[in-house]
Amino acid sequence: MQVSLKNYTLRYLSIAFLMIITIWAALFYAFILEEVYDNVDDGLKNQKILILRAVYEDPQLLETDNYGINQFRITPVSEEDNFSEENQLNNEFFYMPYDDEMEPYRVLRTGFYAPDQKPYHLEIRTSTVEEDDLILNLTTALIVLYLVLVLGVYLINELVLRRAWRPFNIILENLNLYRFGKKDDLKALSTNIVEFNQLNKEIHRMWRRNEEVFDEQKRFIENAAHELQTPLAITINKLEMLMEDELLSESQLTQLAASKSSLTRLVNLNKALLMLSRIENKQYKDVDRIGLNQLVKEISEDYKDFLSFKDITLQVEEHAVFDVSMNKDLALVLISNLFRNALRYNIRGGIISIRIRKNQLSLANTGDQIPLEQKKIFSRFHKGTQDSQSTGLGLAIVKSIVDTYPELSIDYRFEENWHIFSLEKS
Amino acid sequence: MKVLIIEDEADLCDVIKSFLEGEKYMVEIANDYANGLAKLVNYDYDCVLLDIMLPGGTGMQLLTELRALGKDGSVIIISARDSVEDKVEGLELGADDYLAKPFHLAELLARIKTIIRRKNHHGEQAIQFKDIKLFPEERKVLVRTDELQLNRKEYDLLYYFMIRPEKLITKTSLAEAVWGDDADQSDNLDFIYSQIKNLRRKLKNYQAEVDFQAVYGVGYKMV
Repeated sequence: MQVSLKNYTLRYLSIAFLMIITIWAALFYAFILEEVYDNVDDGLKNQKILILRAVYEDPQLLETDNYGINQFRITPVSEEDNFSEENQLNNEFFYMPYDDEMEPYRVLRTGFYAPDQKPYHLEIRTSTVEEDDLILNLTTALIVLYLVLVLGVYLINELVLRRAWRPFNIILENLNLYRFGKKDDLKALSTNIVEFNQLNKEIHRMWRRNEEVFDEQKRFIENAAHELQTPLAITINKLEMLMEDELLSESQLTQLAASKSSLTRLVNLNKALLMLSRIENKQYKDVDRIGLNQLVKEISEDYKDFLSFKDITLQVEEHAVFDVSMNKDLALVLISNLFRNALRYNIRGGIISIRIRKNQLSLANTGDQIPLEQKKIFSRFHKGTQDSQSTGLGLAIVKSIVDTYPELSIDYRFEENWHIFSLEKS
Repeated sequence: MKVLIIEDEADLCDVIKSFLEGEKYMVEIANDYANGLAKLVNYDYDCVLLDIMLPGGTGMQLLTELRALGKDGSVIIISARDSVEDKVEGLELGADDYLAKPFHLAELLARIKTIIRRKNHHGEQAIQFKDIKLFPEERKVLVRTDELQLNRKEYDLLYYFMIRPEKLITKTSLAEAVWGDDADQSDNLDFIYSQIKNLRRKLKNYQAEVDFQAVYGVGYKMV
């Protein structure tokens, strides 16, 4: 489960507070009781001395055999009682008329020899703290304290941490908004918190580094592709010249043609890579309002002869107008690559079915009755079947074009033996 | 017809030169900016093949100079850079066409013929071979006096054969000519085959004197 940083600390703080307060309460309670009994006991012992003195002066007190207002009683020791002059301190309950219930008393029991040399028990009592009430009150107080603390921490979190973490949230938002090479939408960060400034700086540095590496790589691909074109041009043209020679034997000519064909493939691969590189370099900047309905019509017209050659039926259903703002050339490449794909992997006598709805264009074709690998078909050089003639870049270019425009998306699905590519605008 | 090639790759110049000379053009070569400019100033050419990246300057600068001189020779830019911007810039500066390297020689020839024909309004507009006449502006083909009905691809194919009759044209060149990029597919080669078959049948129906000859499965020749 994911929790926000604020609540994360709050959870642990609440548990910690609870534990600290519980332990503290137990110790506090023990100390308080200790202190209270100590005090009470000292009072009782003091009283004992006073009583004994009084008894020696006034033996009549020996007849105080009931707790009266004096809060002590003296009883003669009978034979069977064990007699000790030690002080025994106990807690006992006595009825208290004021409260109309039994209340705790601290009782000191001891023995002494009266002036008549007879042993007597002396019991002195005094009202003491009601422990259960004490516990109850203490607990209530502590629960209130605990709640106030947790609430306090929560409020501090909400107010202070939210303020303190605001730069962090801006950084997060920026990370979310960031698109490669596009920093216009990012919010400026102004904070005096060192860590956040550092984080922000490092993120920007990382972006810059990545962009530099990426740009360099793209420049490299572009330059490499360019540099390859000239030697390829020379080689292809020389082969063509060579093939003009009337004296060539069949096998020589066939081999030359095969070489030329391989070189042509290399040229196409080169062109496709260049195209990809340009799309990703955002070199197709001009944006027009493109009517895909019209574009589909133009492209199907271009491929009419080829459709009839492969005996493929084209069905176009226009349910609505699908307009999109994008580069004209890219739109053409996008739709024709999809169209060619549907054509190339179709079967003789198959069908291409194009449906245009509002903000959606789907292109379905018959073909092999095996679904393609959804995750891989748009990746570069992925070839579904071992097709030596395909560059493996057609759909990668499609994907790359679609990715250039955030509102567009493309996906593939296999439904009832139809391969369906669907282009959508959000 | 005089053609000037301004291109720094000597090998490429040579091969284009010998090809065009085979097509009865007079060809001169300039390997850098200064040389190219000198030739452009001193002579007139029907067509200039211009590379963009040259030692000592750019093809775009040369193009500007050429137009400043008021010369109206056709210019085809041949460049390894085929980005949209380059094309647009070249065409805006007054180039007549833009051909990305590498290209098929047959394609180069087709482009040269097209632009020279466009400049020469007075000249013969039709291309003729035996009893076939092809009118590129109207995309019309006559067998003697009867018009031949062709679909677009068939017409494109025939045009390619017409500008180089009796020469071998490979299937890959044909495929690229009628198909553009991404031409090298087995499907397309089959398609070329079927289109040639159709074309041959149509020509036969009109009792044309020409025919296509398959050359070892490599390509075709119009005879």
